[in-house]
Amino acid sequence: MSETKETGPSEETGKKKVKMNLNRLEMPKQEPEVRRRNFDEVATGYTYEMTMEEASRCIQCKKRNCQQGCPVNIDIPDFIKHLQDGNIEAASKVLKAKTSLPGICGRVCPQELQCENSCTLNKKGAPVAIGRLERFIADWERTSGAVSKPELAPSTGKCVAVVGTGPSGLTVASDLAIRGHQVTMYEALHVAGGVLMYGIPEFRLPKEIVQREVQYVSSLGVDIHLDTVIGINYSLDELLNTKYQAVYLATGAGLPQFLRVPGENLNMVYSANEFLTRTNLMKAYLYPEYATPVKMGRKVAVIGGGNVAMDSARCAVRLGAQEVYVIYRRTRQEMPARLEEVENAEEEGIHFHFLCNPTGFISDGRNNVSAMELVRMKLGEPDASGRRRPVPIEGSEYTMDVDTAIISLGTSPNPLIASTTPDLETSRWGTVITDERGKTSKARVWAGGDIVSGGATVISAMGEGRRAASAMHEFLSQ
Amino acid sequence: MFPIVAHEELAPNVHRMTVKASVVAEKAQPGQFVILITDEKGERIPFTISGWDAARGTVDFVYIEVGKTTRQLGALRPGDELAHFVGPLGKPAEVDHYGHVVAVASGYGAAAILPVLRALKEKENRITTILQAPDRERAFCAEELEQASDRLILALGSPGEEMTVSATRPLRKILANHPQNPVHRMVVMGSLCLMRVISEMTRPYSIKTMVHLTPLMVDGTGMCGACRCSIQGKNRFACVHGPEFDGHEVDGWDVLMARRCTYADESILQQSFQCRGCSQW
Ligand SMILES: Cc1cc2nc3c(=O)[nH]c(=O)nc-3n(C[C@H](O)[C@H](O)[C@H](O)COP(=O)(O)OP(=O)(O)OC[C@H]3O[C@@H](n4cnc5c(N)ncnc54)[C@H](O)[C@@H]3O)c2cc1C
Ligand SMILES: Cc1cc2nc3c(=O)[nH]c(=O)nc-3n(C[C@H](O)[C@H](O)[C@H](O)COP(=O)(O)OP(=O)(O)OC[C@H]3O[C@@H](n4cnc5c(N)ncnc54)[C@H](O)[C@@H]3O)c2cc1C
Ligand code: SF4
Ligand code: FES
Repeated sequence: MSETKETGPSEETGKKKVKMNLNRLEMPKQEPEVRRRNFDEVATGYTYEMTMEEASRCIQCKKRNCQQGCPVNIDIPDFIKHLQDGNIEAASKVLKAKTSLPGICGRVCPQELQCENSCTLNKKGAPVAIGRLERFIADWERTSGAVSKPELAPSTGKCVAVVGTGPSGLTVASDLAIRGHQVTMYEALHVAGGVLMYGIPEFRLPKEIVQREVQYVSSLGVDIHLDTVIGINYSLDELLNTKYQAVYLATGAGLPQFLRVPGENLNMVYSANEFLTRTNLMKAYLYPEYATPVKMGRKVAVIGGGNVAMDSARCAVRLGAQEVYVIYRRTRQEMPARLEEVENAEEEGIHFHFLCNPTGFISDGRNNVSAMELVRMKLGEPDASGRRRPVPIEGSEYTMDVDTAIISLGTSPNPLIASTTPDLETSRWGTVITDERGKTSKARVWAGGDIVSGGATVISAMGEGRRAASAMHEFLSQ
Repeated sequence: MFPIVAHEELAPNVHRMTVKASVVAEKAQPGQFVILITDEKGERIPFTISGWDAARGTVDFVYIEVGKTTRQLGALRPGDELAHFVGPLGKPAEVDHYGHVVAVASGYGAAAILPVLRALKEKENRITTILQAPDRERAFCAEELEQASDRLILALGSPGEEMTVSATRPLRKILANHPQNPVHRMVVMGSLCLMRVISEMTRPYSIKTMVHLTPLMVDGTGMCGACRCSIQGKNRFACVHGPEFDGHEVDGWDVLMARRCTYADESILQQSFQCRGCSQW
């Protein structure tokens, strides 16, 4: 694949000098013209040979920079060493020791900000493609059928409830089940997996992979109750007063935010959550085989600049929209979306409009959206987050014809549990307040993932789950 | 899986389904709803709870065959199972002692309003119920409504644009006697058009008029925002803040009705649904 392979300067690693290969191997992808028409996975993954070639680039640094950059501290040099030795099973064991969801992390983690950013090779050239290697190992294990299952500790007789089946909840459930506790999970929706199922599209994260991980967790003896809303079917106090010694809250940040501008409720103005839920969770792209429809116009505006906006725009293209515009009020540099996904979106023909912000939606006279009013923005002084704050330019108003709009501004925690649990301390933004090990203000209750962070990443939701699980285990062992 | 324990036809294309779902039955309250999925390829669709039995763990609802999924439901028999059944969703209807309550029901509302009326009766309200139906054959649940109310008025009228007229006629008479024979509160469950018309009729009298809004829903737990309605200039989610709202505070009726019809197409079985002003026709 990489014909321009060159050998870079050498680097001190321990005592011996090693030659470095500074070019990473690209991962094969579906051609943009093809993938615009389907929901199949965009990146098809390394082959065995490619994996071996890429793994050979790792120089096995003593300092383990990559591992320090990993939010769950995966022993990255060790699993790559096993790959270099051709022992994929051993590599998989190393991965599984720190993450129960490698097939997912390998696909959606922002490695460019984490392990790969810290990789020694990144100083001189392209870092080792750690995420792609992780993905290969997980897929190899899945397709070879040799799923390694950890040994379960003898039953402690203690019962734990985990609320929410996203990555954070799944992590706590598996960690505590392995330590011998009886875990029951509660999920409001009809499928387990959280955002991995309802938000992130099939073409980035095949749902079969998510369901494999869910099955793995239930194979550890975890009971999963779907269609059960905590705060409605059982209150948090009911869980604590009946069967459970401890509860972990991982209900995510599912409440969509809106722009609060005139016309925002017109027909064909979607929240990203509705649009993505119809498309991904309910599989509207397979309508009418699947019963849920999703209506898509010809000219679509997606408002926002994060991963959610990229996913919405790319789903819109695949559902047959002719023109898709991403409308973002800052510039490309400030976009929170992963660079790789922005590039993918561009290749798929999505247009980006920076430094503009909608101020209203206009009706076609029959309450369908027909146009959007916008104002141009410029970047002012940095705000609390350090990003320069966008300010409207007076007199720069203009309109743009659109027949569909998808509001992808981000989300905040659903207030359902907090509002039915008066003694659970929450912040101004509705997030649950915890200490660094996930303990909330309420006795016997821990929390983690997006309900605490307000919206972050799969790996951080997992990492918080891992820390809380060890704290919960200590508590349950007293 | 949630087994169907009983399924009866109340009128042509109208059925009552009783489902075993003890978790739902345990907490159900008047005015709340469930969301069900028939099979793994099915959609999530909402129905108002028309009765429950906590001891037996059953919940029932009445539905009209209007499209794909409700027609599918119509073909199921006792012993068959629904893949998913979640609830009770939404806030319960407000129930207190008000005095004289006038209820207006049409369509599935005739069944769905029953638990609300029974709860109002328990609070010793005097209840006048207007049941609107195209004809006597389709005036299902009339007996139950009669038992639950002090007085039942049958408002029969032809479907289509004249539909709402039949219910407004008796209500106009009742309002003409207000405040000598006062109406303290109204509850309306029916089509969006009917609820809107009734809300406008009672507005000049400042009689609090509760309506049960039925926008399109997806998750039913406050996650998707599909069900957002403008209430006094604020966005409210019908699935968590409603579905019961004060009809005089609903300020986005036109938009609400347009959104309700987003997926309305030729497949709709109920002709009267193609109302005037709808964005899709
Ligand atoms: C479209 C989109 C794209 C994203 N892309 C990426 C990406 O590329 N990389 C990345 O790292 N991160 C990405 N994220 C963020 C990431 O998905 C989240 O940070 C992560 O899923 C949070 O995990 P969680 O376990 O805290 O919650 P969630 O995954 O949100 O799961 C919470 C679960 O709890 C359930 N629940 C909620 N309330 C209740 C209740 N009352 N009772 C019972 N169950 C309840 C919900 O139905 C849900 O299933 C993306 C997010 C979105 C929305
Ligand atoms: C909170 C709530 C409570 C409800 N309670 C009940 C109930 O107790 N009994 C009941 O029969 N229905 C009830 N409905 C309406 C019911 O959910 C719809 O009739 C049902 O989803 C139609 O599904 P379908 O697949 O058969 O039709 P579809 O194939 O989806 O029909 C096509 C479209 O037509 C429109 N449509 C068709 N018929 C109707 C209708 N009668 N009302 C509004 N829109 C319609 C919708 O936009 C629908 O998407 C309720 C809705 C809500 C939001
Ligand atoms: S930092 Fe990069 S080169 Fe060094 S061990 Fe980690 S992956 Fe290998
Ligand atoms: S139905 Fe999704 S928020 Fe109400």
